[in-house]
Amino acid sequence: MYLSKIALRNLFRRSGRTLIIAGVLAFAIFFAIILETFMAGMMEMSFSNIIDFDSAHLQIARPELFADNEDPLDHLFTPTEEVLTEIEKLPGFVATTPVLDFSANMLAGREEYPVRVRAAAPASFKEVFRYQDYLIEGDFLQAGDSGLVIGMNLAEILDLQVGDFYTLLFREEGGSLNTIQGEILGIAATPEPGMNLGTVIIDQSFAASALGVSSSEINQLKVKMTDRHSAVARSESLEKQLTGSLAKDFQVNSWRDVSDMLVAMEVWGQLETYFIVALILLVGAIGIINVVVLSSLERVEEIGMMKAMGLSEKQIVKIFSIEASGLGVIGGLIGAGLGAVGTYLLVNIGFDLQLLYGDITLELGIPILGTIYGVWKPQSFIIFFTLAVTVALISSLIPSYWAARKDPVDAIYHR
Amino acid sequence: MLVVSLNSEKKINQELENSVLVSLDSVKKTYEDGKISVRALRGIDLKIAEGEFTTVYGPSGSGKTTLLNLIGALDKPSEGQVKINGSIINELDRNGLALLRRDNIGFVFQSYNLIPVLTAYENVEFALKISSSNNGNPVRNSKERSAQILEQVGLGDMLDRRPNELSGGQKQRVAIARALVKEPRLVLADEPTANLDSQTSKEVLEIMLEMNSKLKTTFIFSTHDPMVMEYAGRLLEIRDGKITREERR
Repeated sequence: MYLSKIALRNLFRRSGRTLIIAGVLAFAIFFAIILETFMAGMMEMSFSNIIDFDSAHLQIARPELFADNEDPLDHLFTPTEEVLTEIEKLPGFVATTPVLDFSANMLAGREEYPVRVRAAAPASFKEVFRYQDYLIEGDFLQAGDSGLVIGMNLAEILDLQVGDFYTLLFREEGGSLNTIQGEILGIAATPEPGMNLGTVIIDQSFAASALGVSSSEINQLKVKMTDRHSAVARSESLEKQLTGSLAKDFQVNSWRDVSDMLVAMEVWGQLETYFIVALILLVGAIGIINVVVLSSLERVEEIGMMKAMGLSEKQIVKIFSIEASGLGVIGGLIGAGLGAVGTYLLVNIGFDLQLLYGDITLELGIPILGTIYGVWKPQSFIIFFTLAVTVALISSLIPSYWAARKDPVDAIYHR
Repeated sequence: MLVVSLNSEKKINQELENSVLVSLDSVKKTYEDGKISVRALRGIDLKIAEGEFTTVYGPSGSGKTTLLNLIGALDKPSEGQVKINGSIINELDRNGLALLRRDNIGFVFQSYNLIPVLTAYENVEFALKISSSNNGNPVRNSKERSAQILEQVGLGDMLDRRPNELSGGQKQRVAIARALVKEPRLVLADEPTANLDSQTSKEVLEIMLEMNSKLKTTFIFSTHDPMVMEYAGRLLEIRDGKITREERR
């Protein structure tokens, strides 16, 4: 009781010094929380964008398609009723759409640009993906249209507008070159920068006739689910179901399987956060060691007197440790408070990376455009607060023992 | 007549032997300061009985403080033996010495050494709480005892003042109250009046004398102050690390 009382009162004996060290710890906690919030928000948006514009929650295809992306036209299949029924039976199922992806070069005037052509069934495509919400010009596809929906960046590069003619140059199944021609129907500006540049959308039945394949032949089924987290587990169960009881040669991938790079980025991002936080906490730890050493030098006569009164070394260590932990608690609370304010702003106002760094997300391959919003992560408040207190406590131990082991005579007479 | 006198002295010595609280036997203390050895005590033989009011005096550097540090179990002798309340301090480790001090000895220093973040009352109660926290037996009535002893040293109305709000004399009274609150068998006071004016010194000494007669607490002072010597029941002069004169009153 008295040891805590002495420790806590000592904490405010040099309030300036206490505030400086607590401030360093607070900065570390604030920085860590904001970085975690920002990274989590960025990942959340990235995964959402991949799901909403590229992979959907689940994608079902021949295993060879996922292994060999070079010739997607080599891996066509026609989804049977029983396969579609099995998919619809999945808990959390929302919608499914067939997709026929292939590679082509888009020609406009003298310009040529390699693109992925996504042949889609417009009605069901709208139920799975969100392109139509981000059209900035023109209209989305209708069944049987020869038109094309392209991304904003591709339109800029090739200087295309709605109504302009396009040519898609592609290689048929047999290897001979062929073209598809038509008008630009719509231009989309999605929050997924990759889709604004490298993907064009065309009606599936129109593409099939141009490709010389059956209109029912596709190379992927995309599935939208209610929840992305459960979709990962569903992909495994669906694959077992398809390959087991139905004896079909399919592979089911979840959104996470196509986000390897992002998952790695998420891990690296976390490591980076922890590394930076560790560096700042190291500065805080050095500050705390400094504070304990200075305090013990200032209070050497008090320590001597306490030892003369019969206080054990452990009890003296306890005083300094409580004091250092108090520094951690103050720093942690200030940091968590500032972190909460920062997170609130990030969640509600967001942070426009493009405004500050231009097309950095495009260059880094992060599928986000525009403002990035944070995500509340209550566990990071608890983790970083605990970390601050633990670092404060651990870094105080050695100087505390040093103080506690002072010879009582030397301490009393300040020799 | 001579036989009677010898018998009487023998009787006194026997009584002293029975009630000895502190005993030093051929005690020497040498400090190593780099390559230089400083012989602070050069062979001290001394016995102090319970309830004695003893003053050690002598010039600066004569070894007074070193002697008090050894009697207070703050330090160990280089040679010889120091026994306090039956415990030989040469044989105790740091924890053993701390326990011996906690259970038997109170200290009063020239510079008061109060804990600045605690009030007068808390400084005194803290001394009591240390004993209870270490031996696991809670001290009964610690609040009343702490307030009462501060009342006895004349600080009943200053319980909530912190050391920086007290005068030198008041601080020393708190230090005395702190030393006495756990009712130790021995109180060591190293130049307790050095920073006090003569009137305050007198008041402080009278408090200690009163405690000595009331509680039978043994007091050992070191001092330069002739006034302190006037109060002593036994005077020990120390020079160059040796007791050169002894006087009982």
